Amino acid sequence: MTEPRTLDQLSPGQKATVKKVGGQGAVRRRLMDMGVVNGVEIELIKAAPLGDPLEFRLRGYHLSLRKNEAQQIEIN
Amino acid sequence: MAAEPLTVALAGNPNVGKSTIFNALTGSYQQVGNWPGKTVEKKEGWVSIDGQRVAIVDLPGTYSLAAYSVEEIIARDFILNERPGIVVAVVDAANLERNLYLVCQILELGLPVIVALNMSDTARSRGVEIDVQKLSQQLNGTAVIETVGNRGIGIDTLKAAITRAQTARRQPSVLDYGDVIEAEIDQLQARIEADPVLAHQYRARWLAVKLLETDDDLRAHLEQMGHQPLVKSADEAIARVTASLGDDPETLITDRRYQFIGQAVGAAVTRPSQMAETPSDRADRIITHRLWGVPIFLLLMWIVFQFTANVSAPFVDWVDGVVTGPIAQWAAALLGAVGVSDTWLESLLLDGVIAGVGGVLVFVPVLLFLYLGIGLLEDSGYMARAAFVMDRVMRVIGLHGKSFLPLLIGFGCTVPAVYATRTLENERDRRVTGFLATFMSCGARLPVYVVFGAAFFGAQAGNLIFGLYLLGIGVALVTGLVMKRALYRSAPPQPFVMELPPYRMPDARTVGRQMWERTRGFVQRAFTVILGCSVAIWLLLAVPRSLNPGEFNTVEPQDSLFGSISGALAPVFAPAGFGTWEATGSLVTGGIAKEVIISTMNQVYALDAEEDASASETPTTFVEDMGSVAQSFGQAVILTGQEIVNIVPRTVNIIPGINLPEADFLGAGEASEDTSALNTMLTRAFTPLAAVAFTVFILLYVPCMAATAAMRHEFGSRWMLYQLGYTAVIAWVAAVVVYQGGLLLGIGGA
Ligand SMILES: Nc1nc2c(ncn2[C@@H]2O[C@H](COP(=O)(O)OP(=O)(O)O)[C@@H](O)[C@H]2O)c(=O)[nH]1
Repeated sequence: MTEPRTLDQLSPGQKATVKKVGGQGAVRRRLMDMGVVNGVEIELIKAAPLGDPLEFRLRGYHLSLRKNEAQQIEIN
Repeated sequence: MAAEPLTVALAGNPNVGKSTIFNALTGSYQQVGNWPGKTVEKKEGWVSIDGQRVAIVDLPGTYSLAAYSVEEIIARDFILNERPGIVVAVVDAANLERNLYLVCQILELGLPVIVALNMSDTARSRGVEIDVQKLSQQLNGTAVIETVGNRGIGIDTLKAAITRAQTARRQPSVLDYGDVIEAEIDQLQARIEADPVLAHQYRARWLAVKLLETDDDLRAHLEQMGHQPLVKSADEAIARVTASLGDDPETLITDRRYQFIGQAVGAAVTRPSQMAETPSDRADRIITHRLWGVPIFLLLMWIVFQFTANVSAPFVDWVDGVVTGPIAQWAAALLGAVGVSDTWLESLLLDGVIAGVGGVLVFVPVLLFLYLGIGLLEDSGYMARAAFVMDRVMRVIGLHGKSFLPLLIGFGCTVPAVYATRTLENERDRRVTGFLATFMSCGARLPVYVVFGAAFFGAQAGNLIFGLYLLGIGVALVTGLVMKRALYRSAPPQPFVMELPPYRMPDARTVGRQMWERTRGFVQRAFTVILGCSVAIWLLLAVPRSLNPGEFNTVEPQDSLFGSISGALAPVFAPAGFGTWEATGSLVTGGIAKEVIISTMNQVYALDAEEDASASETPTTFVEDMGSVAQSFGQAVILTGQEIVNIVPRTVNIIPGINLPEADFLGAGEASEDTSALNTMLTRAFTPLAAVAFTVFILLYVPCMAATAAMRHEFGSRWMLYQLGYTAVIAWVAAVVVYQGGLLLGIGGA
């Protein structure tokens, strides 16, 4: 079996559906509070000029995540 | 009409127009402070609705009521403990889904809720149609009021709804979490209800849900109150749910809330099928562009820095001039009229009180310009992008992308730097950033370096100054790393997860109000501290060592208590090479304001030029004074224009090899002060090595009292004391290392 795909592997303009929000504690809670939950559609807009963090669009708004945060989110 | 006091809490996500609604409701009847012991602003206001007095409390902007940030804890504790009669949840109609998540959590708390559907104009212009009636139905009958906060639309309806909501009997809304979870909720709920104290303090169902959500804050709280068995059975319930549903209840409960919201939005909102690219999206493609992003960031930061450091300067000088000129003279004249001129009372009022008042007021222009800059950055939506662009760099020392601005502003003045930390998202970042900001060498320290550099190193002075700035940055870096490693090592990682709000035209009233409120906050808080210090130093200088009342206020500095204290402290600095009472004395007054160091040195090295300064003052009339105050204000305005123009050449001149001349409207290019006499004295009193050690000490030692007052205001007394202690120790160590190290290497000792 291959490694599950995670959110940081999207390329700009690409969309995916969230399958599982990993991680724990404050980071995970915050992600879910911001609407990153199972089944939501999320699109990578772009990376910051220095490569990290990343900018996503979901639920009609823009959200910025660090790469290591995006890594904890599995997608289809 | 019942006149029972009613409290209404305003809740909502950040940036949804909550403050605007708050202001529209309360008008000018409001009071701004901090939540006790927190770095979070608290606003409270009053409004009379149909003759009933209603207190409105503005809760911090949050996305959730999970207790992971200070803001969330404040908002939640207020709702839980103070039990406001009504919660008005302000939501952004253009971004309904995420906004309703908080609403959902508030509904679960079981209080009467009114949803203010704000920004309904923006939503409409994007083609989003919201059926208010349907939305209200979907939210179990919760009142939903459309508002446009910045135009006052819907505010009266909102007030009427507040009155109605008090009398309406409402059944608590219930979200069904599905059989498995509901069964566990029932069990926990029964246990909670069996305990009268708990049942009184919390809504049982809410607490049960929170326990299943693994809310650490509540769990710790419950354990403290001796409810370990309850927490333990919650853990068992969590394990059971996870086993039977394959996912933990925290995830399932959140999923369910968003599912509920999805249904509500699906039923009540019609959106254009294809969301067009908004102007904001287009702007962002350039502003955070891969190549342009960083230069644009640096340019904007530089402009804000110029605003606080240079553009405000003419007004600072004007305030200073008015306080030390006309106001001091009028006061002197007034005191003469009541027959107390040339007495200690006159001296106390002029040199202690009025000087102290001036010490506060000179920061007013600085802060106004700072808040103008910050207000524009925040209200336009850029501030979040600043964090986005810079995060990669600032993370290295454990800081946030938004920490850059406060640190940069620190090079101008520490006071606005401390206040600029408010733009940061979490309390830890605010504290650390404020802590490090003092090591950014502020503008008031520069003259000291210049004088010492010129006296000891002539043409090489630039190297000393540059070295000092670098040392300050270095100390901040190391301190930041140490704090990250030592203080916060065991702390769980803070999420960066941050909304990037759409760009917006900054609103003049919003920005203006913030400038006014926040500056006023500083003046109110700092006044007592600064005035107190100013009067205390005056007293020390006035009371003779001999305690002979006859010499009160006529004593020479070295024979005053000030001289004694400085003398007693001096040996502490002997290992750093400047253990004289004169040097120590200037350090003591430098604790009031760094710019005072040079004038104190002038005084204590007996080079006082005071006499001829006061002799040149000719008596003036009130009208003439008013005229000159107005005229100098006019000049300050013109000079400010000049400073704004000068941002361009200063910016261009950073590029090597280019030299654009700066504007000089009134020929204000300052004549350099004549310090040659002081130079001679200094070269006699200090060895070059001791001079370096002394400037290193000045760079690092305790922030001036205005900065200290600002820190206390923002971060609390305990944190302020840490700061004072740390800076004092690090400055002493660094100065001693420089001096002793230099001696060992045999440089510049003799
Ligand atoms: N278009 C529009 N702008 C609004 C509305 N309400 C507030 N604003 C603007 O939104 C910005 C943020 O408002 P503010 O009250 O500071 O938001 P807060 O962070 O929630 O307190 C300000 O520039 C307001 O003028 C509204 O209903 N429509």
